[in-house]
Amino acid sequence: MADLLFCSHYPFSSAAKAYVSEQGMEIVSSYIGKAEERVREAIVSGKIRKVPAMSEAQEEELALYAIARMIVSCANNRYLINRYAVAEAKKTSDYLSSDASAHAEYVDAVAAEFGIRFEKSGAHFLVPLGKYLAYTPRSTDYKLANREVALGKVKVSSHERARMLEEAVKKKIERELPIRAAFPDEVKAAGARVLALLPKLETAVMKLGQENYPPCVRRMIEELSLFVNLPHTARVALGIYLVKAGLPTDKIVEVFRGAPDFSEKTTRYQVDYLRTKGYNMPSCATMDSYGVCVAECRCGTPLNYRANIHGRALKRLEEAKQ
Amino acid sequence: MSSLVQTQEEKFLHRRFSDYYSKSAVSLRGLEKREFGFGGWEKKIEFRHLSFKNELELRARLVSEAPLYISHSVAYYEFPDARPMPRKNWLGSDLIFDLDTDGSACGHACGKFTCQKCLDDVKSDVVKLIEEFLLPDFGFSKSELAVNFSGSRGYHVHVVSDAVYDLDREARREIADYVSGTGLPFERLFWNEGKKFLGPKPSQGGFGGKFARAFLAKLSGEAFALSIARKLKKPEEKEKLKSAIANGNWDNIGITNREKKLSEKFEEMKLTMAGRIDANVTADVSKLIRMPDSIHGGSGFAAKRLATPDAIAGFEPMRHAPIFGSEPLKVKATEAVPALSIRDFSFGPFGAGEVRELPEECAIYLICKKAAVLE
Repeated sequence: MADLLFCSHYPFSSAAKAYVSEQGMEIVSSYIGKAEERVREAIVSGKIRKVPAMSEAQEEELALYAIARMIVSCANNRYLINRYAVAEAKKTSDYLSSDASAHAEYVDAVAAEFGIRFEKSGAHFLVPLGKYLAYTPRSTDYKLANREVALGKVKVSSHERARMLEEAVKKKIERELPIRAAFPDEVKAAGARVLALLPKLETAVMKLGQENYPPCVRRMIEELSLFVNLPHTARVALGIYLVKAGLPTDKIVEVFRGAPDFSEKTTRYQVDYLRTKGYNMPSCATMDSYGVCVAECRCGTPLNYRANIHGRALKRLEEAKQ
Repeated sequence: MSSLVQTQEEKFLHRRFSDYYSKSAVSLRGLEKREFGFGGWEKKIEFRHLSFKNELELRARLVSEAPLYISHSVAYYEFPDARPMPRKNWLGSDLIFDLDTDGSACGHACGKFTCQKCLDDVKSDVVKLIEEFLLPDFGFSKSELAVNFSGSRGYHVHVVSDAVYDLDREARREIADYVSGTGLPFERLFWNEGKKFLGPKPSQGGFGGKFARAFLAKLSGEAFALSIARKLKKPEEKEKLKSAIANGNWDNIGITNREKKLSEKFEEMKLTMAGRIDANVTADVSKLIRMPDSIHGGSGFAAKRLATPDAIAGFEPMRHAPIFGSEPLKVKATEAVPALSIRDFSFGPFGAGEVRELPEECAIYLICKKAAVLE
């Protein structure tokens, strides 16, 4: 028999899907309202509430999950989808940490959803290299060069295991949505309403006068405005650049508003932190190793770009005069 | 192919390359899902977005067009000839390591006529990549590895494995950075705990373990040991430190300035521990790479596919990659030619303007290097 507790904690799982198709599910108006609330909360606060441990609520959770996906699909906006995915993934991560002791087998079952097997090794786990790379965030902490790697397996802590599964859930939802299908009018209307929640973004980004920024920085800003989830290392580099370019914290925070997991408080804290620490700008070679270098400007560090460009323009001007 | 006016040499090479393709079979895993690129005298890739249904179709094209360079995508696509790129619908890619000599082995003396020293040097880099990274760290099996001579100055190692098939650019960059030791700061591996200075154990995986093992091996040397601490002159002190490092304790003898000294050693040794690869090639999921067993238009040699990764030990590019035999052919040097040896034939040095009758594969080598013309 299907485990309803498991299904309600992990409504993206194939077990949950099977449960729903066995039991059948009706789209009732009251569910649509609640599902809309779920999406609204996810977009605004980045969180989705946990399910009360009652079988009715658990069954309802499965319906709400499915309808929320339809609403997000109707809104059909990349930022909204990504931000919704982040919230669902965070909820999964909360459940994974609470289930780790009481229902250890749940964690293995969620991992199996993504074809991952974590092998216990002392207090740690070993995970196949390919899965490690596919489901870890690109940050210094997870940099492969800094990890213990042997025989195609990477050593991770139990916290890192949960983080990987969170990433896997996020990627799965981002990949699956939007669902292309004909939805009931009520669902469509809910989609239109959540779409109207989106922050107005364009203004701040356009005012930066970014024509003199190096191509890598321009691309990162552009990707953020397209709601692409930039890797952590790239965000840090962008933050350092904008601090060095003399932008006030308020403006820098606006640039990051497009990040699907944006939180104004955290971003403000992090930008201020970069500012007080006075970090050096990563060199072009480092930017390249982050995978964010886009051009061969050969300027050493993105900070030199303006000087280089201006220098070159000046030289051309002088040559033209002669 | 490219320009309307072909030189005599181009025409000649096309004819000889065509002869070669008419006699040799080509094979490539997932051929129908690959994008192909052809190149000519001026550019290694002049045309891309080509695709072929099967080996026969590809070979027919090679015989009729005989391009100087043939490359295939490391990627598999649903629609390999579609463009722009996103329309191809990427399915996955092999993982590639590109190793080329940088010319440092002979002090950059050989230039475009890559010398034996440089070829041996890059060969040992390939062995190191396989023996120290691909097998022990990444856990690939030898049957998942294919090693090809590039046809010119290096080798390509292809990893064909489900474990890496759908890794994106960033994930591949991580693998490249691991091999080249990029983004690996000393502070990540070593830390102070009270008065103790702790670090990697030789038994652990990853770069930390590599460093610990290499460090212990070097510590046996007198000069190296003394550069760490004077007191390591005494064998019992050395043994004491060695057994501590085996447990991840990097200083139980009171090394003065230990962080500075060890970090200097780390930075120095990192360079020799790291593999020399072109990281951009590894990260590029849509890279076009020389097709194995095709001819490299810059040498007239075959980009030989080695039967097994181990076969590299006995592979000598100047002996096993030439394909055009020993029929005599007269050429005139257009620049100074150094002393060279191809298969069993030694020739040169001789100067620009001199005419020589050479075995065809030697003559073609000079023509491909643009160092000689037909006489």
